[in-house]
Amino acid sequence: MEGLFYNVNGGYVEGVVRGYRNTLLTGQNYSNLTQCETIDDVKLQLSPAYGDFLASLPPNPSTSSLADKTTDKLVAEFRYIQGQATGTLAKFMEYLTYGYMIDNVALLITGTLHERDTRELLERCHPLGWFETMPVLCVATNIEELYNSVLIETPLAPYFKGSLSHQDLDELNIEIVRNTLYKNYLEDFYRFVNEHPEIRGTPTAETMSEVLEFEADRRAINITLNSFGTELSKQDRKKLYPEFGRLYPEGTLMLSRADDVEGVGLAVSGVHDYKSFFDTVGGGMNSSGPGNMSGGSGSDGKSLEDLFYQKEMEISKGAFTRQFTHAVIYAWVKLREQEIRNITWIAECIAQNQKERIGNYISVF
Amino acid sequence: MAAPPSAYKDRHFLAVIGDEDSVTGLLLAGIGHVTQPPDAQKNFLVVDSKTETSTIEQAFDNYTHDRKDIAILLINQHIAERIRHRLDTYTEAFPSVLEIPSKDHPYDPEKDSVLKRVRRLFGE
Amino acid sequence: MSGAGDREPVFPTRQSLGTMKSKLKGAETGHSLLKRKSEALTKRFREITKRIDEAKRKMGRVMQIAAFSLAEVTYAVGGDIGYQIQESAKNARFRVRTKQENVSGVFLPAFESYTKDENNDFGLTGLGKGGQQVQRCRETYSRAVETLVELASLQTAFVILDEVIKVVNRRVNAIEHVIIPRTENTIKYINSELDELDREEFYRLKKVKNNKQRDNEIAEKAEVEKKGKRQDSDKENEDGPEAKDVLGEEEDQDVIF
Repeated sequence: MEGLFYNVNGGYVEGVVRGYRNTLLTGQNYSNLTQCETIDDVKLQLSPAYGDFLASLPPNPSTSSLADKTTDKLVAEFRYIQGQATGTLAKFMEYLTYGYMIDNVALLITGTLHERDTRELLERCHPLGWFETMPVLCVATNIEELYNSVLIETPLAPYFKGSLSHQDLDELNIEIVRNTLYKNYLEDFYRFVNEHPEIRGTPTAETMSEVLEFEADRRAINITLNSFGTELSKQDRKKLYPEFGRLYPEGTLMLSRADDVEGVGLAVSGVHDYKSFFDTVGGGMNSSGPGNMSGGSGSDGKSLEDLFYQKEMEISKGAFTRQFTHAVIYAWVKLREQEIRNITWIAECIAQNQKERIGNYISVF
Repeated sequence: MAAPPSAYKDRHFLAVIGDEDSVTGLLLAGIGHVTQPPDAQKNFLVVDSKTETSTIEQAFDNYTHDRKDIAILLINQHIAERIRHRLDTYTEAFPSVLEIPSKDHPYDPEKDSVLKRVRRLFGE
Repeated sequence: MSGAGDREPVFPTRQSLGTMKSKLKGAETGHSLLKRKSEALTKRFREITKRIDEAKRKMGRVMQIAAFSLAEVTYAVGGDIGYQIQESAKNARFRVRTKQENVSGVFLPAFESYTKDENNDFGLTGLGKGGQQVQRCRETYSRAVETLVELASLQTAFVILDEVIKVVNRRVNAIEHVIIPRTENTIKYINSELDELDREEFYRLKKVKNNKQRDNEIAEKAEVEKKGKRQDSDKENEDGPEAKDVLGEEEDQDVIF
């Protein structure tokens, strides 16, 4: 039934996004990219996909400017779709931007805490996380003012409410603030796709639940792994786990008690996917540095983060097999982000002459 | 002959003048130090294309001359190029000024002030 | 001769000649000692410059690896962490202390790195995403900074040795080209002055002798004339005073030599 009326409002947008999906770089494109000798070659290889956006780059641009320009394209396309979206889709797209908003707000809070001129921070903010009242944040000169008069005006206000006071902003590490916000955001998003009367029970709810559950689990695992050896206590750590996902509640409970990598492995063993990740990584999460992301001592193996990214991409790819759903937009954004990361990675490898590691991009098409 | 101990015994920190990536990396290694407020002073300066040369010179003077707690000053070579005259005339032993490569600018021994002196000494 | 060239302002006496001679000897000893010191330092210096050259090249590689690990962080975190890092830096975890090393009497400072583990500003960076990369990147950069500290030690040693060698060489050259020639000049001058005095003395005595002889002759003549006036034929008397003069001359010569 849901398919009957989806196209009335969302059909055009969905079509456009599917079109965008087809312009994503394929494995063939990537293997061409990895053959490049200079950044200029990369630029040339990218010109069919990115065209005008790269035109203004100087010869042999830095990798960061390359990443900026490719992000510009994503933003432009996102804005276009957002302009077309109505109803729940518009709301859905707003939710997509909240994640970036959290990053931006965290940045601005950091700036305010250190009494920097936050205006110059605005250009560092992620354009997708831009909201109208953001420049207003710069007016605030201290944290209390920021909290009481500015943050409550932002779309993120509900995420602050109830879990963070203005003292917390002052005292807690900004990373904890960020992750608390993110947890609240994920939960809210999850509620939205599962409870909103127009989305509930549609393919959107199904697909998005899968994606968000995965995201929640990933964060929980990462937070646990990354908090070993830091001042983050187990209680505080538990507060950062989103309260849904495939690991919730038993897995997260075990995670909150885990003291080492084995503990994490045990906690996630209830879910087959994550268990196989841990098996692949093979307990090599110690300081010796497993996987391809380890600095300098890289091998062919994949790190846990890589496997998560890979999984995320597969889920995103899978989303396109469904029709009449908002999830394709989410999937497209994620795929495009990964593509930008891939391009940056390849460009970085070429620029820094580290060709042997160039194949570590993640391509699903 | 050698510098008196007072010239370096209080020097514990490294300072850095570099582009964003270099500074970030070095800070990650843990060299960053911000002195206590109210007179909070950082021991690093991020330079981008918009940074004035005078700002760099000022920071260079500050780290090499005014502050007595810096043992080593790291500076990106491409930034060193912008204030090359200062480096060429800088002959103090403390703090030691070290030119380091940056991500986008590989190291070029030809430009290094110290290596230039090495070559001059050996008449090459 | 004695006026040309630089010399010490001394009176040309035998005593100062002795002083100068010992000074020359001292200068020569000092010269050879300093020369040896300079050679030892230069050897060390060359070693250091060679190591600097190597270390600088090594640094290029190490920094490249480090920069690359930062690229990995950017990839894993999926964004820019630079600003956050800059703002959360508070206390230096990585510090250096300086110790001294004695090389041929020159104190060379060497930096030694140590970490204050209680200062950990970035433990939570990348908590939600990419934290492992961040930690690894920190390790990589720590290693890189250690290399940099090593290099800085070498470079400081280089700067100081350079200075010291310059001073030593200046001294060596000063002794070789100024002090020794000047002392030699002075000795030469004193010798020549003394010779001059000798010759003057000799000449003076000769003159004295001649004058005496002349006076004697005149006196003799006068006497002979007197005698001639009184006794016309008496030539035996001429030999008498002459024999006396010969004796006198011998006495004079003894005084001279």
